[in-house]
Amino acid sequence: MVSGLETFVNAVQSLSAQGNFNDLCDVLSKANDVLTKNVQHLDNVLETLDTYQHSLGVLAVLYVKCNNLPAALPQGGGPAEGAHVESKTHEVFIFNQFHNFIEKCDSAQIRLAPETYSDLCHTVTKILIDQKRPHRGIDLIRRAIHKIQKHESQLTGAHADLMQLCLLAKNFKPALEFLDVDICSISEEGSQSEAKYFLLYFYYGAMIYTALKKFDRALYFLEVVITTPAMAVSHIMLEAYKKYILVCLILHGKVLNPPKYTSQVIERFIKPLSGAYHKLSLAYNSNSCEDVQQCLTFYAETFSRDGNSGLTKQVLASLRKKNIQRLTKTFLTLSLSDVASRVQLSSPRDAEKAILNMIEDGEIFASINQKDGMVYFHDDPEKFNTPAALKRLEEEMERCTELDRKILEMDEKFLVNPAFIKKQQCGTTEDDIALAPAMSDGRNPVGDL
Amino acid sequence: MIAGDLTAKCAELERQELTSPTGEASAQEYAQLLAIYLCQSDLCNAKFLWKRIPVALKNSHEELSQIWKVGQCMWKRDYPSAYTCLQVAWSDNVRPIMTTLQEELRSRAINLIGNAYSSITISDLSAIAGISDRDAERISNERGWIIDAETEMVHPVRPPPSSQVITSTEGQLNKLTDYVSFLEN
Repeated sequence: MVSGLETFVNAVQSLSAQGNFNDLCDVLSKANDVLTKNVQHLDNVLETLDTYQHSLGVLAVLYVKCNNLPAALPQGGGPAEGAHVESKTHEVFIFNQFHNFIEKCDSAQIRLAPETYSDLCHTVTKILIDQKRPHRGIDLIRRAIHKIQKHESQLTGAHADLMQLCLLAKNFKPALEFLDVDICSISEEGSQSEAKYFLLYFYYGAMIYTALKKFDRALYFLEVVITTPAMAVSHIMLEAYKKYILVCLILHGKVLNPPKYTSQVIERFIKPLSGAYHKLSLAYNSNSCEDVQQCLTFYAETFSRDGNSGLTKQVLASLRKKNIQRLTKTFLTLSLSDVASRVQLSSPRDAEKAILNMIEDGEIFASINQKDGMVYFHDDPEKFNTPAALKRLEEEMERCTELDRKILEMDEKFLVNPAFIKKQQCGTTEDDIALAPAMSDGRNPVGDL
Repeated sequence: MIAGDLTAKCAELERQELTSPTGEASAQEYAQLLAIYLCQSDLCNAKFLWKRIPVALKNSHEELSQIWKVGQCMWKRDYPSAYTCLQVAWSDNVRPIMTTLQEELRSRAINLIGNAYSSITISDLSAIAGISDRDAERISNERGWIIDAETEMVHPVRPPPSSQVITSTEGQLNKLTDYVSFLEN
């Protein structure tokens, strides 16, 4: 039995020493059985291998090890209860072996086995979540992503893990560091679950942005999820579509039509599955807070089952604001009591408070006159003639230039892509050609504009 | 404390929390971080920080909940209550930050009044700014706001929009060059 392991160790050591990593990958892909049969000796194997020199070998061992860990037990009160033997094994695995590996491994080597690497991250994430201590994993996975990324705008499988950990730990700052960078390439992991983690990353990302009330960014992330080319209904897409409706209402006061390139799946299957949300948007369109409130009460169970109650409440609040904003289009001055009665607030004092809050947020431009109990609505004082406006313009132009550069770059890459050329020569229909780039590399060029 | 110091301190505390062996920070660190988020009016992050602080720490350190009470008032935009909640004998650990927070809140409130009201009663002004009526009069005079003694109304004047973005001419020229070369190609 042990001889199989010895061959493995020797192969890893000699091939790594020769720098022949492609052959090593072949050896490793066949080594799974041997390693699985010798689970109890894997710790010894780890000791004989050097994390940096034999990163691929160590990765393979850790991968087998993590798949053969005893089932994770919820850990309740943290390390104090860590005395439990099985938790102890996890503890050692994650915080010594995995941590050590992430710290010291060689980026160039692990990039040859991105699928195994991502799977390892997924498993570690899952263990920590099962143990109810997601906060312990944030730093680990963050380092893990930095290690394998070729550049900071590359999406890896572990991104989704980090987002999930951050959401569960209610700590979003570490996630923003990644979310704020627009993705323009995807690490090719070739696994079947790649699409799942792609969708999850954008879905979780949207949830983080919504929690921080950065609705425009959240909406963009949700749009990425619902516009991903698809042939079958994904549960992630369905939930994203529901949130898309809510965030749209909060941000724009109406549901925007998803872009043209949205998959048919949305129209055909997902829309009928989100009836309550469409009813809500209809109620919203009537501009009546009462209707919206009724709809919220009627579908309360659905909304809370979907975990969207909080968002639906914000939809109601946004309608109140929108109603006040609409007053500014009709009136130049209005008494506070009129405002109160028109937007169904209980007293002029409440109306004053609501207007004050909106002025503070820059959502309307008005001045309140307490002496006469009146409010004067003004136009937006922004005349776009200040240095600040110029600065914004410059920033936007810079982003456009950057996007254009990236699109050109991708375009050039497709032009020399053998699969694409072949298709073109075969004289296929235009639709097929349009699909070719999407299938051969990554998705649509992602740029937030 | 100056804004820059707070940002640096904030990043440091966030890093400490993540890299500590338990993945949790001490009560003192949490208190400082919470106070800093409030200072930066980053109420969302403050809220989620409050949610993730372990219950045991919240129970054993009353100051944490006292800081969060201020945060709750800020969330509801209830300026007067926020000032009341700030009247606590803060420990040395957070006192400088809480003092900054109080000043910050006050200046924000006064700016808001300048922007939002064309007339306001002195008592409302002093409540929102958290100052005495006498101080309210003084501040009004400083800012050139007219006080109508008969009706006890103050007439705030809108502050001119302040925008001080200074770019060097050379930088400007570089950018223009970039645009032209982009458009030409």
